[in-house]
Amino acid sequence: MDIALDDDQVMLKETAVSFAQQALPAARIRELETSEQGFDAGVWKEMAQMGWVAAAFPETYGGAGTGLVELALIVEALGQGATPSPLFSTVIEAGFTLLDAGAARQKDDWLTRIAAGEALMTAALMEANGGLRAQDVRTRIARSGNGFRIDGTKAFVRDAGAADAIICVARSGEGAEDLTLAIVPKGATGVSLRRMPAAGGEALWQVEFKGVEVDADAIVGDVGTGWLAVQRLLLRGAAFKSAELVGIGQASLDLTLSYAKERVQFGKPIGSFQGVQHHAAEMYRDLEVSRLLSWQASSSLGEGLSGEREVAMAKAKASQCVPALTRTAHQIHGAIAYYRDYPLELYYHRALAAQAAYGDAAHHRRVLARLLSTNNAAFRGQDAHELPVHYF
Amino acid sequence: MDFTLTGEEAAFRDEVRAFLRRELTPEVFAKHRDTGEQGMWTPDFTKAFRRKLGAAGYLGMGWPKEYGGGGRSRIYQAILWDEMEYHRAPGLDRSMTYIPNALMTFGSDAQKAALLPQINRGEISWFVGYSEPEAGSDLANLKTRAVADGDDFVITGQKAFSSDAHMADYAWLAARTDPTSQRHRGITMFIVDMKSPGVTIAKHPTLAGWTHHSVHFDNVRVPRSMMVGEVDQGWKVLMGAIDFERAALASPGLVNYQFDRLLAWCAHSRDGGERPIDDPVVQDELVRLAIEAEGTRIMSYWLASLHARGQYPQHETSLALLVKRETARLFDEKGMELLGPYAPLRTGAPHAQLDGEVEIEYRDHLYFQFAAGGFDITRNVVATRGLGLPR
Repeated sequence: MDIALDDDQVMLKETAVSFAQQALPAARIRELETSEQGFDAGVWKEMAQMGWVAAAFPETYGGAGTGLVELALIVEALGQGATPSPLFSTVIEAGFTLLDAGAARQKDDWLTRIAAGEALMTAALMEANGGLRAQDVRTRIARSGNGFRIDGTKAFVRDAGAADAIICVARSGEGAEDLTLAIVPKGATGVSLRRMPAAGGEALWQVEFKGVEVDADAIVGDVGTGWLAVQRLLLRGAAFKSAELVGIGQASLDLTLSYAKERVQFGKPIGSFQGVQHHAAEMYRDLEVSRLLSWQASSSLGEGLSGEREVAMAKAKASQCVPALTRTAHQIHGAIAYYRDYPLELYYHRALAAQAAYGDAAHHRRVLARLLSTNNAAFRGQDAHELPVHYF
Repeated sequence: MDFTLTGEEAAFRDEVRAFLRRELTPEVFAKHRDTGEQGMWTPDFTKAFRRKLGAAGYLGMGWPKEYGGGGRSRIYQAILWDEMEYHRAPGLDRSMTYIPNALMTFGSDAQKAALLPQINRGEISWFVGYSEPEAGSDLANLKTRAVADGDDFVITGQKAFSSDAHMADYAWLAARTDPTSQRHRGITMFIVDMKSPGVTIAKHPTLAGWTHHSVHFDNVRVPRSMMVGEVDQGWKVLMGAIDFERAALASPGLVNYQFDRLLAWCAHSRDGGERPIDDPVVQDELVRLAIEAEGTRIMSYWLASLHARGQYPQHETSLALLVKRETARLFDEKGMELLGPYAPLRTGAPHAQLDGEVEIEYRDHLYFQFAAGGFDITRNVVATRGLGLPR
């Protein structure tokens, strides 16, 4: 047991936060929110050069082979800087799915280029129904000649406009064992995109696949094995969205503290009033609990544990706390932060978007409730005691 | 970063669990646990159990070897506290958790040589004389006087809200040595033998059912050798001890027991009826509580990890204590809600659930909201010491 960052992790965190905070001025971030691409290509290139894009990839693919906690620290920092980047889509969604389930040829093909900042990818899982269960996937995949044909419409696809390829989740039958992942290259005939403008500035897309033909070697893993990879994608997505929320919360708290120290009313800094102090203390308490749960989630995934309980707890807590924290931050700021040129609104909207992504708080409490009723040991964690039944 | 116990740490946890189960059987609970006037465990049993902890090597386990300790990391100490709290063992109090640490940090060589071996063997119990009728949250307002007289100090005053004073061998006492001083200046710390002439103890029945105490000091002579640190410099000693105290009180064992007890109850069918746990609303409540309990657990071991790395967290200990006690109160509240019509039934009543324990804790834990800082004072501490907001 050693719940603390080591020296290398502290240095990585400090470097990443300082980079993310200085990468782009707020005005440029706002401009990017409505741009086609959604991020700044120069910043992405720099991130690749610093080794952050592929930090957690194996060295074979140009990575540094760090653990997932390091990647979580980078995601936390990007959240803290409100820095738009395709890290989530390209690395966390698509890159790790290939690492997890892809053929050697597919990894060779994509991962090294991703690590170098030369290729972008994304994964298309959700659809109009907004669900994250196997049965919520309606898009069809069927054999066609020597390859496959895909029909259906995906939604909430990150960075689809910029991606060089989309890993599409589709089904060939009715069960969870009928899900298959296929790599669809940019510009494939029958693919059409429509932007889903959303709070928080992530470039989300609706992606229609109409009779899209792919080769047999576009399939990731084997036909019918997609659900396993998707489940890992869901855990990863939720773990790293909780890390992003922690970064968003940190920035909101930092803005609030500096404002409360400087803003004078009734002849005193407002931060000297206990009403404000108690709000700040509660923001900090919720943030630190969320941070520790989030570190535990990425640590457990990195250790190859199931992580289901740890991830659900982290995302449920952060999804509930961090948006609440940004609301309190606005309350303390008052009117000044209601103006769009004040940076707090960036975090207010990002918290809203991130709590919704990869399952909101209710979704993750539902996951935990299912564990509670079906798998008591998994629900209670590894250090659980025997239940005290001497009362009955 | 590692969120799991090492093999050696897990083995130690299993050893402690086995020790506690062996010593605290249901028969022992029935015989020595008194949730009435005595306050959970009888003083005799608490003292006897403290000696057993000493004999098992648990009391000085985390102390440096130079003080006769086991030199084990703070992680082991945290595991011990966690398991003791979970099993509701007696003796998990200042006498083992923070007086020894404060003594090692601030005590004289003679005090350490005289007292640490006795503490290590579990032979002495302490009470902490900080609070007074006029000095609660505003501790720097304390009025108890210590006047130098030859080789002694003569102490006069009243300490209030003095937990376990009735079974204490020594007081860890704050008194004002400079009457012209303001606030936190001019305070000195003393170790006072409770058998000294002039020490009297008064009883105060609490709404929790147990009896609390206050202590009067009437011209009590304390040798200068029992002063801790320098004269008029006691505030630093007092605050240092408080940091140790908070880390110990932030142990997650209580909330984990509250969770397990509630889960066991919800999974149990009364008279063959429906089990509460099959109700989705109950499941959601349990899940929400489980998340808070997990946050409390990780935060406590995070503190222990910082200590184990040789760091001295300060406001973080206040934060962890706030998280733990707010979570415990959430369990009290939600536990009462889930128990439905059984909630107000007292121990021994027909149909009382879980031996009436949740109702006892619902009143007993009220003190979490105001003792050792209390929720609002702790938020002040976190905001000013931790977040740098102006006073």
